[in-house]
Amino acid sequence: MLEITNLHARVAGKAILKGLNLSVKAGEVHAIMGPNGAGKSTLGNVLAGREGYEVTDGTVTYMGEDLLALPAEERAAKGVFLAFQYPVEIPGVNNTYFLKAALNAQRKYRGEPELDSMQFLKLTREKLKVLSISDELMHRAVNEGFSGGEKKRNEIFQMAMLEPRLGILDETDSGLDIDALKTVAEGVNRLRSPERGFIVITHYQRLLDYIVPDFVHVLADGRIVESGDQSLALELEEHGYSWIKERKLGAAA
Amino acid sequence: MQNWYPGDENGVGGIYNFVTKRGACRGARSKISWTQVETGSAITWKYPSCVLRGDDSVGEFYSVALTNHRQQADTGTKMIHLGARTKSKIISKGISAGRGQNSYRGLVKVEKNADGARNFTQCDSLLIGDRCGVHTFPYIEVKHPGAIVEHEATTSKISDDQLFYCLSRGISAEDAVSMIVNGFCKQVFKELPMEFAVEAKKLLEVSLEGAVG
Repeated sequence: MLEITNLHARVAGKAILKGLNLSVKAGEVHAIMGPNGAGKSTLGNVLAGREGYEVTDGTVTYMGEDLLALPAEERAAKGVFLAFQYPVEIPGVNNTYFLKAALNAQRKYRGEPELDSMQFLKLTREKLKVLSISDELMHRAVNEGFSGGEKKRNEIFQMAMLEPRLGILDETDSGLDIDALKTVAEGVNRLRSPERGFIVITHYQRLLDYIVPDFVHVLADGRIVESGDQSLALELEEHGYSWIKERKLGAAA
Repeated sequence: MQNWYPGDENGVGGIYNFVTKRGACRGARSKISWTQVETGSAITWKYPSCVLRGDDSVGEFYSVALTNHRQQADTGTKMIHLGARTKSKIISKGISAGRGQNSYRGLVKVEKNADGARNFTQCDSLLIGDRCGVHTFPYIEVKHPGAIVEHEATTSKISDDQLFYCLSRGISAEDAVSMIVNGFCKQVFKELPMEFAVEAKKLLEVSLEGAVG
Protein backbone atom coordinates (compact mmCIF):
# COMPACT_ATOMS: atom_id res chain seq x y z
CA MET A 1 0.00 0.00 0.00
CA LEU A 2 2.94 2.31 0.65
CA GLU A 3 6.07 2.46 -1.45
CA ILE A 4 8.79 4.94 -0.50
CA THR A 5 11.61 5.17 -3.00
CA ASN A 6 14.84 7.10 -2.56
CA LEU A 7 13.18 9.75 -0.40
CA HIS A 8 15.20 12.87 0.28
CA ALA A 9 13.76 15.61 2.47
CA ARG A 10 14.96 18.88 3.99
CA VAL A 11 13.80 20.81 7.01
CA ALA A 12 14.78 24.47 7.24
CA GLY A 13 17.39 23.93 4.54
CA LYS A 14 18.99 20.99 6.32
CA ALA A 15 18.99 17.59 4.62
CA ILE A 16 17.45 15.03 6.99
CA LEU A 17 16.27 12.13 4.85
CA LYS A 18 18.90 10.97 2.39
CA GLY A 19 17.58 8.23 0.16
CA LEU A 20 15.09 6.33 2.29
CA ASN A 21 13.44 3.22 0.88
CA LEU A 22 10.54 1.44 2.54
CA SER A 23 7.71 -0.75 1.37
CA VAL A 24 4.67 -1.44 3.54
CA LYS A 25 1.98 -3.91 2.51
CA ALA A 26 -1.53 -4.02 3.94
CA GLY A 27 -1.66 -6.01 7.16
CA GLU A 28 2.01 -5.43 8.02
CA VAL A 29 3.48 -3.67 11.00
CA HIS A 30 6.84 -2.03 10.42
CA ALA A 31 8.88 -0.71 13.30
CA ILE A 32 11.35 2.08 12.63
CA MET A 33 14.06 2.48 15.22
CA GLY A 34 17.04 4.72 15.32
CA PRO A 35 19.07 7.20 17.32
CA ASN A 36 18.03 10.81 17.96
CA GLY A 37 18.24 12.99 14.88
CA ALA A 38 18.20 10.07 12.45
CA GLY A 39 15.07 11.43 10.74
CA LYS A 40 12.37 9.25 12.33
CA SER A 41 9.92 12.03 13.10
CA THR A 42 10.73 13.77 9.82
CA LEU A 43 9.56 10.64 8.02
CA GLY A 44 6.22 10.74 9.87
CA ASN A 45 5.75 14.43 9.16
CA VAL A 46 6.67 14.09 5.47
CA LEU A 47 4.15 11.27 5.05
CA ALA A 48 1.41 13.25 6.81
CA GLY A 49 2.12 16.33 4.71
CA ARG A 50 3.35 18.88 7.18
CA GLU A 51 4.38 22.26 5.80
CA GLY A 52 8.03 23.13 6.01
CA TYR A 53 9.21 19.64 5.13
CA GLU A 54 10.60 19.90 1.65
CA VAL A 55 10.95 16.75 -0.44
CA THR A 56 13.95 17.22 -2.73
CA ASP A 57 14.04 13.82 -4.40
CA GLY A 58 12.32 10.44 -4.49
CA THR A 59 8.72 9.27 -4.61
CA VAL A 60 6.04 8.08 -2.22
CA THR A 61 3.24 6.00 -3.72
CA TYR A 62 0.23 5.28 -1.53
CA MET A 63 -2.56 3.01 -2.80
CA GLY A 64 -1.21 3.59 -6.31
CA GLU A 65 -1.31 7.37 -5.97
CA ASP A 66 1.39 10.01 -5.65
CA LEU A 67 1.03 10.80 -1.94
CA LEU A 68 3.30 13.83 -2.01
CA ALA A 69 1.00 15.63 -4.47
CA LEU A 70 -1.89 15.62 -1.98
CA PRO A 71 -2.50 18.25 0.71
CA ALA A 72 -2.49 17.03 4.31
CA GLU A 73 -6.28 16.97 4.80
CA GLU A 74 -6.78 14.85 1.66
CA ARG A 75 -4.15 12.37 2.81
CA ALA A 76 -6.10 12.03 6.04
CA ALA A 77 -9.35 11.45 4.17
CA LYS A 78 -7.64 8.77 2.09
CA GLY A 79 -6.66 6.95 5.25
CA VAL A 80 -3.26 8.21 6.39
CA PHE A 81 -3.18 8.82 10.13
CA LEU A 82 -0.30 10.25 12.16
CA ALA A 83 -0.38 9.73 15.91
CA PHE A 84 1.63 12.68 17.20
CA GLN A 85 4.59 12.54 19.50
CA TYR A 86 3.43 15.78 21.12
CA PRO A 87 -0.31 16.24 20.49
CA VAL A 88 -1.22 19.93 20.72
CA GLU A 89 -3.87 21.45 22.95
CA ILE A 90 -6.79 23.29 21.38
CA PRO A 91 -8.41 25.24 24.25
CA GLY A 92 -12.18 25.52 24.31
CA VAL A 93 -12.73 22.99 21.50
CA ASN A 94 -14.56 19.96 22.82
CA ASN A 95 -12.86 16.65 22.10
CA THR A 96 -16.07 15.02 20.87
CA TYR A 97 -16.88 17.99 18.66
CA PHE A 98 -13.38 17.96 17.17
CA LEU A 99 -13.52 14.27 16.39
CA LYS A 100 -16.98 14.48 14.87
CA ALA A 101 -15.86 17.33 12.63
CA ALA A 102 -12.81 15.32 11.56
CA LEU A 103 -14.74 12.13 10.88
CA ASN A 104 -17.47 13.90 8.94
CA ALA A 105 -14.97 15.96 6.91
CA GLN A 106 -13.28 12.71 5.89
CA ARG A 107 -16.57 10.97 5.11
CA LYS A 108 -17.73 13.91 3.04
CA TYR A 109 -14.48 13.86 1.06
CA ARG A 110 -14.97 10.16 0.36
CA GLY A 111 -18.57 10.73 -0.72
CA GLU A 112 -19.98 8.87 2.28
CA PRO A 113 -22.97 10.19 4.23
CA GLU A 114 -22.06 12.21 7.35
CA LEU A 115 -22.91 10.75 10.73
CA ASP A 116 -25.51 12.53 12.83
CA SER A 117 -25.00 13.03 16.55
CA MET A 118 -26.77 9.83 17.58
CA GLN A 119 -24.83 7.65 15.16
CA PHE A 120 -21.60 9.33 16.20
CA LEU A 121 -22.32 8.84 19.88
CA LYS A 122 -23.06 5.18 19.32
CA LEU A 123 -19.78 4.71 17.45
CA THR A 124 -17.91 6.59 20.20
CA ARG A 125 -19.34 4.32 22.88
CA GLU A 126 -18.41 1.19 20.95
CA LYS A 127 -14.84 2.31 20.40
CA LEU A 128 -14.35 3.54 23.95
CA LYS A 129 -15.49 0.17 25.22
CA VAL A 130 -13.15 -1.77 22.94
CA LEU A 131 -10.17 0.36 23.97
CA SER A 132 -11.24 0.48 27.63
CA ILE A 133 -10.83 4.27 27.74
CA SER A 134 -13.05 6.29 30.08
CA ASP A 135 -15.50 8.64 28.39
CA GLU A 136 -14.35 11.43 30.69
CA LEU A 137 -11.77 12.45 28.08
CA MET A 138 -14.56 13.10 25.60
CA HIS A 139 -16.07 15.90 27.66
CA ARG A 140 -12.86 17.91 27.88
CA ALA A 141 -11.23 20.27 25.39
CA VAL A 142 -8.85 18.69 22.86
CA ASN A 143 -5.79 17.60 24.85
CA GLU A 144 -6.20 20.55 27.23
CA GLY A 145 -4.76 19.69 30.61
CA PHE A 146 -4.36 16.04 29.58
CA SER A 147 -1.51 14.11 31.14
CA GLY A 148 1.09 12.60 28.80
CA GLY A 149 -0.63 9.23 28.98
CA GLU A 150 -4.07 10.71 28.34
CA LYS A 151 -2.81 12.55 25.27
CA LYS A 152 -1.39 9.37 23.77
CA ARG A 153 -4.52 7.40 24.60
CA ASN A 154 -6.54 10.12 22.93
CA GLU A 155 -4.39 9.74 19.80
CA ILE A 156 -5.08 6.02 19.71
CA PHE A 157 -8.76 6.67 20.31
CA GLN A 158 -8.85 9.11 17.38
CA MET A 159 -7.17 6.47 15.26
CA ALA A 160 -9.81 3.91 16.25
CA MET A 161 -12.59 6.34 15.35
CA LEU A 162 -11.12 7.44 12.02
CA GLU A 163 -10.19 3.87 10.97
CA PRO A 164 -7.22 4.75 8.75
CA ARG A 165 -5.61 2.38 6.28
CA LEU A 166 -2.13 3.45 7.25
CA GLY A 167 -1.38 4.30 10.86
CA ILE A 168 1.89 6.08 11.65
CA LEU A 169 2.79 6.16 15.33
CA ASP A 170 5.45 8.75 16.08
CA GLU A 171 7.15 7.74 19.33
CA THR A 172 3.78 7.06 20.88
CA ASP A 173 5.57 5.26 23.71
CA SER A 174 7.69 8.21 24.78
CA GLY A 175 6.90 9.48 28.25
CA LEU A 176 4.50 6.66 29.09
CA ASP A 177 4.51 4.57 32.22
CA ILE A 178 4.16 0.85 31.78
CA ASP A 179 0.37 0.76 32.29
CA ALA A 180 -0.29 3.51 29.79
CA LEU A 181 2.11 1.81 27.40
CA LYS A 182 0.11 -1.40 27.64
CA THR A 183 -3.20 0.37 27.03
CA VAL A 184 -1.78 2.12 23.99
CA ALA A 185 -0.26 -1.09 22.63
CA GLU A 186 -3.46 -3.02 23.21
CA GLY A 187 -5.35 -0.32 21.33
CA VAL A 188 -3.01 -0.67 18.38
CA ASN A 189 -3.20 -4.46 18.44
CA ARG A 190 -6.99 -4.36 18.30
CA LEU A 191 -6.74 -2.16 15.22
CA ARG A 192 -4.41 -4.54 13.41
CA SER A 193 -6.17 -6.04 10.43
CA PRO A 194 -5.32 -7.51 7.03
CA GLU A 195 -6.42 -4.25 5.37
CA ARG A 196 -4.39 -1.94 7.58
CA GLY A 197 -0.70 -1.16 7.65
CA PHE A 198 1.29 0.39 10.49
CA ILE A 199 4.55 2.25 10.78
CA VAL A 200 5.63 2.32 14.41
CA ILE A 201 8.39 4.83 15.08
CA THR A 202 10.09 4.23 18.40
CA HIS A 203 13.27 4.74 20.35
CA TYR A 204 13.04 1.69 22.51
CA GLN A 205 12.51 -1.99 22.06
CA ARG A 206 10.08 -1.98 25.02
CA LEU A 207 7.04 -1.01 22.91
CA LEU A 208 7.76 -3.87 20.52
CA ASP A 209 7.27 -6.37 23.35
CA TYR A 210 3.64 -5.39 23.19
CA ILE A 211 3.19 -4.45 19.54
CA VAL A 212 4.99 -7.30 17.79
CA PRO A 213 6.18 -6.00 14.40
CA ASP A 214 6.53 -8.00 11.21
CA PHE A 215 9.63 -6.03 10.25
CA VAL A 216 12.13 -3.90 12.11
CA HIS A 217 14.19 -1.24 10.33
CA VAL A 218 17.03 0.80 11.66
CA LEU A 219 17.07 4.39 10.49
CA ALA A 220 20.39 6.18 10.74
CA ASP A 221 21.60 9.33 9.04
CA GLY A 222 18.44 9.60 6.90
CA ARG A 223 18.53 6.09 5.49
CA ILE A 224 17.42 2.64 6.43
CA VAL A 225 20.67 0.88 7.17
CA GLU A 226 19.45 -2.47 8.41
CA SER A 227 16.21 -4.44 8.21
CA GLY A 228 15.14 -7.60 9.93
CA ASP A 229 12.54 -9.10 12.22
CA GLN A 230 12.02 -8.57 15.91
CA SER A 231 15.33 -10.17 16.79
CA LEU A 232 17.02 -7.10 15.28
CA ALA A 233 15.25 -4.91 17.83
CA LEU A 234 16.46 -7.16 20.64
CA GLU A 235 20.04 -7.07 19.37
CA LEU A 236 19.83 -3.30 19.16
CA GLU A 237 18.58 -3.14 22.71
CA GLU A 238 21.56 -5.16 23.81
CA HIS A 239 24.32 -3.52 21.80
CA GLY A 240 23.03 0.03 21.17
CA TYR A 241 23.00 1.98 17.94
CA SER A 242 26.76 2.27 17.75
CA TRP A 243 26.85 -1.47 17.11
CA ILE A 244 25.03 -0.94 13.80
CA LYS A 245 27.44 1.81 12.88
CA GLU A 246 30.42 -0.40 13.57
CA ARG A 247 28.93 -3.23 11.57
CA LYS A 248 28.32 -0.94 8.64
CA LEU A 249 31.85 0.43 8.83
CA GLY A 250 33.22 -3.08 9.11
CA ALA A 251 31.32 -4.16 6.01
CA ALA A 252 32.62 -1.16 4.10
CA ALA A 253 36.26 -1.84 5.00
CA MET B 1 -24.52 41.77 18.13
CA GLN B 2 -23.24 44.15 15.55
CA ASN B 3 -22.35 43.43 11.94
CA TRP B 4 -22.38 46.67 9.94
CA TYR B 5 -20.82 46.79 6.48
CA PRO B 6 -17.03 46.70 6.98
CA GLY B 7 -16.19 48.01 3.51
CA ASP B 8 -14.22 46.15 0.85
CA GLU B 9 -10.89 44.42 1.48
CA ASN B 10 -9.27 47.80 1.93
CA GLY B 11 -12.02 49.05 4.22
CA VAL B 12 -13.28 51.49 1.57
CA GLY B 13 -16.93 52.41 1.99
CA GLY B 14 -17.25 50.79 5.40
CA ILE B 15 -19.48 52.10 8.17
CA TYR B 16 -18.02 53.84 11.20
CA ASN B 17 -19.76 52.68 14.34
CA PHE B 18 -19.31 54.93 17.36
CA VAL B 19 -21.53 53.96 20.26
CA THR B 20 -22.12 55.17 23.78
CA LYS B 21 -24.17 52.90 25.94
CA ARG B 22 -24.53 53.37 29.68
CA GLY B 23 -26.52 51.58 32.28
CA ALA B 24 -27.08 52.62 35.89
CA CYS B 25 -27.59 50.12 38.69
CA ARG B 26 -29.46 52.45 41.04
CA GLY B 27 -31.18 50.06 43.41
CA ALA B 28 -29.56 47.78 45.93
CA ARG B 29 -28.62 44.35 44.52
CA SER B 30 -29.43 45.40 40.95
CA LYS B 31 -27.51 43.94 38.02
CA ILE B 32 -26.60 44.84 34.46
CA SER B 33 -24.95 42.40 32.08
CA TRP B 34 -23.69 43.47 28.64
CA THR B 35 -22.82 40.85 26.07
CA GLN B 36 -21.54 41.97 22.69
CA VAL B 37 -20.27 40.32 19.53
CA GLU B 38 -18.58 42.81 17.22
CA THR B 39 -17.71 41.65 13.73
CA GLY B 40 -18.68 44.49 11.41
CA SER B 41 -17.84 48.15 10.62
CA ALA B 42 -14.65 49.57 9.20
CA ILE B 43 -14.06 51.31 12.52
CA THR B 44 -15.77 50.49 15.81
CA TRP B 45 -15.59 52.53 19.00
CA LYS B 46 -17.92 51.07 21.55
CA TYR B 47 -17.88 51.14 25.34
CA PRO B 48 -21.05 49.86 27.02
CA SER B 49 -20.73 50.90 30.65
CA CYS B 50 -22.21 50.31 34.08
CA VAL B 51 -22.62 52.84 36.88
CA LEU B 52 -22.86 50.74 40.02
CA ARG B 53 -24.62 53.11 42.43
CA GLY B 54 -26.80 50.74 44.45
CA ASP B 55 -25.16 48.78 47.26
CA ASP B 56 -24.31 45.20 46.28
CA SER B 57 -25.07 45.90 42.63
CA VAL B 58 -23.32 43.89 39.91
CA GLY B 59 -22.04 44.81 36.46
CA GLU B 60 -20.86 42.37 33.82
CA PHE B 61 -19.35 42.80 30.38
CA TYR B 62 -18.75 39.93 27.99
CA SER B 63 -17.28 40.76 24.62
CA VAL B 64 -16.04 39.13 21.44
CA ALA B 65 -14.59 41.48 18.84
CA LEU B 66 -13.17 40.30 15.56
CA THR B 67 -11.32 42.35 12.97
CA ASN B 68 -10.27 41.13 9.53
CA HIS B 69 -8.83 42.84 6.43
CA ARG B 70 -8.34 46.51 7.46
CA GLN B 71 -10.98 46.73 10.13
CA GLN B 72 -10.26 48.54 13.39
CA ALA B 73 -12.08 47.94 16.63
CA ASP B 74 -11.49 49.82 19.86
CA THR B 75 -13.94 48.52 22.37
CA GLY B 76 -14.38 47.81 26.05
CA THR B 77 -16.37 48.99 29.01
CA LYS B 78 -16.46 51.31 32.00
CA MET B 79 -17.31 49.98 35.42
CA ILE B 80 -17.92 52.81 37.88
CA HIS B 81 -18.12 51.53 41.45
CA LEU B 82 -20.01 53.97 43.71
CA GLY B 83 -21.98 51.76 46.10
CA ALA B 84 -20.72 49.45 48.81
CA ARG B 85 -19.78 45.85 47.92
CA THR B 86 -20.34 46.48 44.23
CA LYS B 87 -18.91 43.83 41.94
CA SER B 88 -17.93 43.85 38.29
CA LYS B 89 -16.63 41.26 35.87
CA ILE B 90 -15.16 41.88 32.44
CA ILE B 91 -14.40 39.10 29.96
CA SER B 92 -13.08 40.36 26.64
CA LYS B 93 -11.93 38.27 23.67
CA GLY B 94 -10.26 40.08 20.80
CA ILE B 95 -9.41 38.35 17.53
CA SER B 96 -7.45 39.92 14.74
CA ALA B 97 -6.78 38.60 11.24
CA GLY B 98 -5.55 40.08 7.95
CA ARG B 99 -4.39 43.64 8.68
CA GLY B 100 -6.97 44.16 11.39
CA GLN B 101 -6.31 46.10 14.57
CA ASN B 102 -8.17 45.24 17.72
CA SER B 103 -7.99 47.08 21.04
CA TYR B 104 -9.56 46.50 24.39
CA ARG B 105 -9.95 49.79 26.21
CA GLY B 106 -11.65 49.72 29.56
CA LEU B 107 -11.97 51.73 32.74
CA VAL B 108 -12.48 50.34 36.21
CA LYS B 109 -13.12 53.17 38.65
CA VAL B 110 -13.66 52.70 42.36
CA GLU B 111 -14.92 55.82 44.21
CA LYS B 112 -14.10 56.59 47.81
CA ASN B 113 -17.39 55.37 49.28
CA ALA B 114 -17.37 52.00 47.54
CA ASP B 115 -16.47 49.82 50.52
CA GLY B 116 -15.54 46.29 49.54
CA ALA B 117 -15.71 46.89 45.80
CA ARG B 118 -14.44 44.07 43.66
CA ASN B 119 -13.48 43.77 40.00
CA PHE B 120 -12.16 40.95 37.87
CA THR B 121 -11.00 41.59 34.31
CA GLN B 122 -9.78 39.07 31.78
CA CYS B 123 -8.63 40.12 28.32
CA ASP B 124 -7.55 37.44 25.88
CA SER B 125 -6.29 38.20 22.41
CA LEU B 126 -5.78 35.92 19.44
CA LEU B 127 -3.71 36.74 16.38
CA ILE B 128 -4.21 35.07 12.99
CA GLY B 129 -1.40 35.73 10.55
CA ASP B 130 1.51 38.14 10.94
CA ARG B 131 0.14 41.51 9.78
CA CYS B 132 -2.54 42.13 12.40
CA GLY B 133 -2.40 43.60 15.88
CA VAL B 134 -4.12 43.29 19.22
CA HIS B 135 -3.79 45.74 22.10
CA THR B 136 -5.02 46.01 25.66
CA PHE B 137 -5.47 49.33 27.45
CA PRO B 138 -6.81 48.82 30.95
CA TYR B 139 -7.43 52.04 32.90
CA ILE B 140 -7.77 51.53 36.64
CA GLU B 141 -8.65 54.37 39.03
CA VAL B 142 -9.06 53.40 42.64
CA LYS B 143 -9.91 55.86 45.43
CA HIS B 144 -10.78 53.31 48.10
CA PRO B 145 -7.98 51.49 49.92
CA GLY B 146 -10.05 48.31 50.38
CA ALA B 147 -10.89 47.72 46.71
CA ILE B 148 -9.79 44.53 45.01
CA VAL B 149 -9.14 44.94 41.31
CA GLU B 150 -7.73 42.15 39.16
CA HIS B 151 -6.59 42.29 35.57
CA GLU B 152 -5.44 39.30 33.54
CA ALA B 153 -4.39 39.48 29.94
CA THR B 154 -3.10 36.91 27.46
CA THR B 155 -2.10 37.12 23.82
CA SER B 156 -1.76 34.03 21.67
CA LYS B 157 -1.46 33.11 18.04
CA ILE B 158 -3.04 30.21 16.19
CA SER B 159 0.02 28.03 15.92
CA ASP B 160 1.19 26.00 12.92
CA ASP B 161 1.09 22.99 15.23
CA GLN B 162 -2.61 23.45 15.97
CA LEU B 163 -3.38 23.98 12.32
CA PHE B 164 -1.43 20.92 11.18
CA TYR B 165 -3.05 18.81 13.89
CA CYS B 166 -6.47 19.66 12.46
CA LEU B 167 -5.34 19.17 8.85
CA SER B 168 -3.85 15.77 9.66
CA ARG B 169 -7.27 14.71 10.94
CA GLY B 170 -8.91 15.71 7.66
CA ILE B 171 -10.26 19.12 8.71
CA SER B 172 -9.72 21.92 6.16
CA ALA B 173 -7.65 24.95 7.13
CA GLU B 174 -10.66 27.26 7.04
CA ASP B 175 -12.74 24.98 9.27
CA ALA B 176 -9.77 24.52 11.58
CA VAL B 177 -9.37 28.27 12.10
CA SER B 178 -13.05 28.81 12.80
CA MET B 179 -13.01 25.88 15.21
CA ILE B 180 -10.02 27.24 17.10
CA VAL B 181 -11.51 30.77 17.19
CA ASN B 182 -14.84 29.45 18.46
CA GLY B 183 -13.05 27.53 21.18
CA PHE B 184 -11.26 30.73 22.11
CA CYS B 185 -14.61 32.59 22.42
CA LYS B 186 -16.43 29.85 24.29
CA GLN B 187 -16.39 31.67 27.62
CA VAL B 188 -18.39 34.53 26.10
CA PHE B 189 -20.63 32.49 23.78
CA LYS B 190 -21.90 30.42 26.63
CA GLU B 191 -23.42 33.62 28.06
CA LEU B 192 -25.56 34.05 24.94
CA PRO B 193 -28.98 32.49 24.47
CA MET B 194 -28.63 29.35 22.33
CA GLU B 195 -30.09 30.79 19.10
CA PHE B 196 -27.81 33.80 19.41
CA ALA B 197 -24.76 31.64 20.07
CA VAL B 198 -25.43 29.70 16.86
CA GLU B 199 -25.72 32.99 14.93
CA ALA B 200 -22.57 34.35 16.52
CA LYS B 201 -20.63 31.26 15.55
CA LYS B 202 -21.81 31.52 11.92
CA LEU B 203 -21.04 35.22 11.87
CA LEU B 204 -17.46 34.55 12.96
CA GLU B 205 -17.07 31.94 10.23
CA VAL B 206 -18.24 34.38 7.56
CA SER B 207 -16.10 37.21 8.93
CA LEU B 208 -13.02 34.98 8.94
CA GLU B 209 -13.39 33.89 5.33
CA GLY B 210 -10.07 34.15 3.53
CA ALA B 211 -8.14 34.71 6.76
CA VAL B 212 -5.88 31.76 5.97
CA GLY B 213 -4.54 30.00 2.92
